[in-house]
Amino acid sequence: MDENVILDIQHVTKAFPGVIALNDVSFQVQRGEIHGLCGENGAGKSTLMKILSGVYPHDTYEGDIFYNGELLKLEGSAIHKAAEKGIAIVYQELTLVPGMTVGENIFLGKEPVERGSINWDRVYSDTQKILNEYHLDVHPQDIVKNLGVGKMQMTEIAKALSENAKVLILDEPTSALSEAEVTQLMGILQTLKEHGVTCIYITHKIEEFFRITDHVTVMRDGKVVTTQETKNLTSEKLVQYMVGREMKERFPKGNRHPGDVIFEVDDIYAEDPDKGKEVLKGVSFNLRKGEILGIAGLMGSGRTELVMTIFGEYGKITKGSMKLYGKEITIENGNSAMKHGISLVPEDRKRHGLVLIQSILKNISLPNLDRFASFMRIDQDAELAESLKFAKELAIKTPSLFVPAESLSGGNQQKVVISKWLMSGPKILIMDDPTRGIDVGAKYEIYKLMNELAEQGISIIMISSDLQEVIGMSDRIMVMCHGSSNGILEIADATQERIMTLATGIA
Amino acid sequence: MNFSELGQRFRKNIQTYIIIIALVAIWGVFAIITKGGYFMPQNISNLFRQMTVTGFLAVGMVLVMVTGGIDLSVGKLAGFVSVVAALFQRDVWFHLIPNQPVLAAILTVFVSMIVGTLFGMYQAYIIAYLRVPAFIVTLGGMFILNGGILLATGGQTIAANQPGFSYIAQGYLNPTIGWILGVAVVAILVFMMFASRRTKRKYGFELKPIYQDLLKTGFFSLLVLVYVGVVNKYNGVQVPVLLLALTAIIVSYVSTNTRFGRYAYAIGGNREAARLSGINIKKQLFLVFTLMGLLSGIGGVVLASYVGYGTIAAGQGYELDAIASCVLGGTSTLGGSGTIFGALVGALIMASLNTGLQMMNVAPAWQYVLRGLVLVVAVIVDVYFKKQSN
Repeated sequence: MDENVILDIQHVTKAFPGVIALNDVSFQVQRGEIHGLCGENGAGKSTLMKILSGVYPHDTYEGDIFYNGELLKLEGSAIHKAAEKGIAIVYQELTLVPGMTVGENIFLGKEPVERGSINWDRVYSDTQKILNEYHLDVHPQDIVKNLGVGKMQMTEIAKALSENAKVLILDEPTSALSEAEVTQLMGILQTLKEHGVTCIYITHKIEEFFRITDHVTVMRDGKVVTTQETKNLTSEKLVQYMVGREMKERFPKGNRHPGDVIFEVDDIYAEDPDKGKEVLKGVSFNLRKGEILGIAGLMGSGRTELVMTIFGEYGKITKGSMKLYGKEITIENGNSAMKHGISLVPEDRKRHGLVLIQSILKNISLPNLDRFASFMRIDQDAELAESLKFAKELAIKTPSLFVPAESLSGGNQQKVVISKWLMSGPKILIMDDPTRGIDVGAKYEIYKLMNELAEQGISIIMISSDLQEVIGMSDRIMVMCHGSSNGILEIADATQERIMTLATGIA
Repeated sequence: MNFSELGQRFRKNIQTYIIIIALVAIWGVFAIITKGGYFMPQNISNLFRQMTVTGFLAVGMVLVMVTGGIDLSVGKLAGFVSVVAALFQRDVWFHLIPNQPVLAAILTVFVSMIVGTLFGMYQAYIIAYLRVPAFIVTLGGMFILNGGILLATGGQTIAANQPGFSYIAQGYLNPTIGWILGVAVVAILVFMMFASRRTKRKYGFELKPIYQDLLKTGFFSLLVLVYVGVVNKYNGVQVPVLLLALTAIIVSYVSTNTRFGRYAYAIGGNREAARLSGINIKKQLFLVFTLMGLLSGIGGVVLASYVGYGTIAAGQGYELDAIASCVLGGTSTLGGSGTIFGALVGALIMASLNTGLQMMNVAPAWQYVLRGLVLVVAVIVDVYFKKQSN
């Protein structure tokens, strides 16, 4: 037995009714390394991680997993046992209690009890110790819901470390993080590595593997394609392994010819509707017909607030104006935005885009019922026929339109959200981070679709946290910083460095 | 269709089937214990008549719960309306239009509907536009109405047993008219089946084999005819049951075939997504709670006519029966799903337990215990099967 191997996964097969999620999976994770795990949605990464963390107990799969040379047998309350053995997972959906402090969250379920009451001083001092040791920049007394996503994640990591985690599994930790926060996370992972903690790192962002990992294992259709040292890989090769075919380009070439300016935003200011704080401080831009305008910026720079304000579902515009086809317009709410031909594909499709328990059909038609409905009746046949048209056009992969939206994969869910807004016949389509958390293949399809829409004359405003994506897809890029527009770049002049300097406000 | 497909379909509709199975099981048990007495036409007739007040409240409650809300005031609102109706019957119309019982009854119905709707609107406004949680607003409403009932009655019982008015909850249709009605319903069911197949074909969708549609339509037609046959052996089709059926059909139609209904389900399913889809949430919530008030008003009239009096205890606890009916019928307490049909079957189960236990002379205390247990067990079974089908 090799001393340096902490996890040895041998011939693991896991079947669900009707589908084999893992098919004879074998690979090794070295002690103290950062091991990347890569693959499209449905490749089997999450299933494997659920086995490692005890969500699927020992007797529900075939094959063996050796942990520190011992057969890993997680049975009974297996999740608990995995944690005891030092295997912890930081989920994509954070599992903290929002109303509690960082300290309370970290010690949840293992509060130090003395004479029947909790010793809170110890909770907070121990929390502080852990935070210091790994250079985590949060305060033990902070209430979790007031923290940004990045700090919540640090709390989550600290929680795992407090349980003496030896193997830390991070499932898409950066999908909601800004560039600065990603950099910070990378630093933390480096610290963990120095402390001898092994990390398994799952992400959809290819470049992150090259920033941080030592080895990468690529999975496809439930099988391991390859495990290689990261330094021997290139991103092209990695993508090729993932999709199983050669991908010539990440961003499809469009044939876009932007026309006249149709929409102008002139120096708008807006306030947060709840806190009354000014979040937009002078944003100006214009949008041409058939153009894709990218909006870049760090988290908290006001990108989402800007598009939500334009859509009429955020704060009041306190100053400035918007002009559509040269005529000044006011938008009170989403409904009036739609009437002006402005649609919005929101940032978080599960929270803002879809009614998950409802059918695909009902989701697509929801904002468009007016066209099928008279006072006392919805023409359900027309509704179905029209929705089917869009489902076909966007190639939504589903057995029927009557299945609930929650049963679809992320990419297909996003297509449903896009369908519902395309049906409203927009002139301007705002897309807030349209490819977040979806796999490479689905991303490519969304990009192609965006090109087609722009070619048809629809103007697209696209927010993205992925710099390569903004550069790859936009005609022009507006960079936001601290609530105002800090410059608009023609695509020919746009580089990652220039965008970052504008976004951080150095320039 | 092969068996595994059949099984899949069954699992998908498990909630609908479970509750019907539960109803049949409860009936079976009582039928055995009472040696068939439970199925006497008189008992069946009373059983359905008994569920009507709760039924009206449950129909409205489904929509309220579907939006993610709750209404604790409906029982007391129905009670208050029943007292108001009794007062109008005894004091107002008696002096203004002394010899016109039918007109008086009709006017009372209108007054009751208006009172219910107005109180519904008052609560709806606070819930929808001032954004106070429905639980609190309607809890307050419950107290207010309780006071209202005491004030209106002065602690006394008010007679509401005038001839025209009594017909609302105690009247029966002539058996011949009952049969005509039954046959008409069957004709409508068959017509609807073919109409739906025709439009489906027009849009080029795949049609289910005709025997499936025929089986379904045939089953429901049979139910209607058997029901008419049974109640005709007693006094005939009960007027309040007919009113409830009409109301349920209308609200059920509205809930699935109009924007109002669709929006209610979308709001309960995901409020943020609904808002960003351009739906005016405040307006929709206002309408839902107003409709609840209207239906409570109708429930109140039927209650007054059924009991024959307006009393201080009127409507006591009905809100809980209505909520229990909805939950039994598969309405999610978290919002987003639920059907009128299910809630009515739920109400029928509650009524079935009531009459059955009364027939067995079970002490009232134990009746409460058993009803509570049935509710909880039903939900446990439901949760279990949902897990299975996942």
